[in-house]
Amino acid sequence: MNPLTVEEKTKAFALPKKAEVVEKQKLNVRYHVEDGLVIEDRPRRFLEAMAAILKHTNYRFALDHYIRTSAKCSRCATNCQIYETTGDLKDIPCNRSELLLSVYRRHFTVAGMLKGRLTNDPGLTDEKIEEMADSFYNCTACRRCTLECPAGIDHGLITHLGRYILGLIGISPRALVVSTREQLVGQTKNTSAIPVPALLDTIEFLEEEMAETKGVEVKFPVDVEGAKYLFIAPVSDFLMEAESLMGIACVMKATGDSWTIGTKNYDAINYGLFYSDHILEKVLNQMEEEAKRLNVKAILIGECGHASRSAKYFYNQFAKDFPLPVVNILEYTQAALASGKLKFDTEIIQERVTYHDPCNIARPGWVVEQPREIIRAFIKDFREMTPNRRENICCGGGGGTVSLDEVRSYRTLIGGRRKAEQIEATGAQYVIAPCANCKKQLRELIEDNKLGCELVGLHDLIYKALILSPDGVAWHEPAEMVM
Amino acid sequence: MEAWLEFGRGPLFRFCLVILILGLLRSVVLSLYGMNEALRRAGDKIVPWSDLTNKTFQWLIPVTRLFRKRPVYSAISFIWHIGVILVPLFLSAHVLLLFANGIGIHWWPEFPQRIADLMTLITVIMGILLFLGRVSSRESRFLSRFQDYAWVPLITLTFLTGGLCANLNLSAGSYQFSMLLHVYSADLILMLIPFTKVAHCVLLPMSQYISGVAWKFPKNAGDRVAETIGKEGMPV
Repeated sequence: MNPLTVEEKTKAFALPKKAEVVEKQKLNVRYHVEDGLVIEDRPRRFLEAMAAILKHTNYRFALDHYIRTSAKCSRCATNCQIYETTGDLKDIPCNRSELLLSVYRRHFTVAGMLKGRLTNDPGLTDEKIEEMADSFYNCTACRRCTLECPAGIDHGLITHLGRYILGLIGISPRALVVSTREQLVGQTKNTSAIPVPALLDTIEFLEEEMAETKGVEVKFPVDVEGAKYLFIAPVSDFLMEAESLMGIACVMKATGDSWTIGTKNYDAINYGLFYSDHILEKVLNQMEEEAKRLNVKAILIGECGHASRSAKYFYNQFAKDFPLPVVNILEYTQAALASGKLKFDTEIIQERVTYHDPCNIARPGWVVEQPREIIRAFIKDFREMTPNRRENICCGGGGGTVSLDEVRSYRTLIGGRRKAEQIEATGAQYVIAPCANCKKQLRELIEDNKLGCELVGLHDLIYKALILSPDGVAWHEPAEMVM
Repeated sequence: MEAWLEFGRGPLFRFCLVILILGLLRSVVLSLYGMNEALRRAGDKIVPWSDLTNKTFQWLIPVTRLFRKRPVYSAISFIWHIGVILVPLFLSAHVLLLFANGIGIHWWPEFPQRIADLMTLITVIMGILLFLGRVSSRESRFLSRFQDYAWVPLITLTFLTGGLCANLNLSAGSYQFSMLLHVYSADLILMLIPFTKVAHCVLLPMSQYISGVAWKFPKNAGDRVAETIGKEGMPV
């Protein structure tokens, strides 16, 4: 890996906040927090929030186990792209976890409290909170370190918890909080604040576009009660990823399945996964309401890593009375392909293509082979990045940091540096990233590092290559689709 | 000195063994109980058990993953662990003196003395290398607490003195002194295991499951947390 130059380092670590703001908020972090941040009594409030969380949630037993087993072997340092780039010892995952584990040990275990008394340890301080606030958002929450921890410690879980506690005392990136507020209590009920008329306009435009390009009438069904799938994309796709959406619509057309977009909730983005379990639950409950209103049989999430993960692994945990299976669009398309419902023009994509595994769907081993099967069906020159699949390297904008424009230089110079080198090594013209988060980050990464390739979604390419028969349905006698 | 030795091998050994067993049992029970409670409170009970089992065995028998990163350090640590686990349990002198005479177990299998000697030698060498590895690695130095530095020398000392005692030609003049060091350092190890990171000797098989189950959240916990800290009704 190329070491950071001095210039890059200065640029990446530059503080976008004014010194007065840092002083006023007593918080020296790169991201912006909301105005009016309460600064009094921060340690006490932190501990109260932590105590409440430990009481009502399931984290405590894991922390207990982790403080007993952590062997400080430093093996995670070999698998953290942030540490590998910065070389700053504070970025070692185990150290990041220790920030929170030490608070737990000091304030929530008998031995720690006794030791604190004996040694006059002041306990949690403002400085330590500031260190956590900085460190937990330097992490991209990609959870690659957990793969290398012999003790089985999930550093991602600890960072997740740390961010939740910080969120309860008001320390969360403003960009995330503002978006979530619009999604939960705003008028438009989505993070990009797209009102329904604008959504319908966009859909109409996309339908015209598809009719022109594909010569077939392809619809985005809206508010169809009793449809099989409720399709929810990250809402930003309607602004930025038209081709992904059109590709998905064409796949749905070819399979003939009934699907619908709901106008009461059409945003799968769930920033709760990045800073608050409370919000994670509320956003999913909102999704459940919509699924119930339209009485669908399953939830289909568009090209988005964190939205897929939060729905797949948490929707049913939090479901009040309408549990449903959750399907990622790549799973769906692969099943359609396997049952012979999709036909591709294999000559259209001649360029070399590589595939980026979004951490949130690849790390658990959930969506790993499906996209590769789809790619092999119509792309000739496919080159894997190394490492790939479950071991992939994060785009550098994970854990919600991609939404923080103020840390862009950090993301593209530090967070995504290994990714940039990985992409460059493949020599690909197209980089596929089936995730709204990764798409934004990788576009910026390509731009800032002058990589000279193009970032696309998988369904962007499917849209180019998929052949629809004049009536829009499949060409072959399809087998039964297992879904 | 003879009396001290007898005390260390007899009553003190039994006492430390009891601490060890009860202490480890407590940790295991707490972790299992915690996992059970977490599952009981969780919104759904779907846990990727088979994936977690795979990961568990990946690290219990670390031959598939371990050597891909830091192969030398990993190999040292791997061999070290084999010696540290097997020699104390199956050494013939231990089987006779401790298990049979000390606590009355007569059916325990044992290693031939030559193999035990060889393993002891290798373990001592690995211990020295492991300590050097920790001291020389920038990352390890940064993370290490006192116990992280102390454990390897303590165990190595026990192996070294044990090896000297088993080979009288090496320790003719200092047998009793070596034995004293050996017995007392071993007792100390037994007693400290449950309270330090070496508790991973029994906790490791549960770690992956615990990390898996910890991602199962209870319903409405967020509301209750907000209520407890007086933030109910404040949506975001």
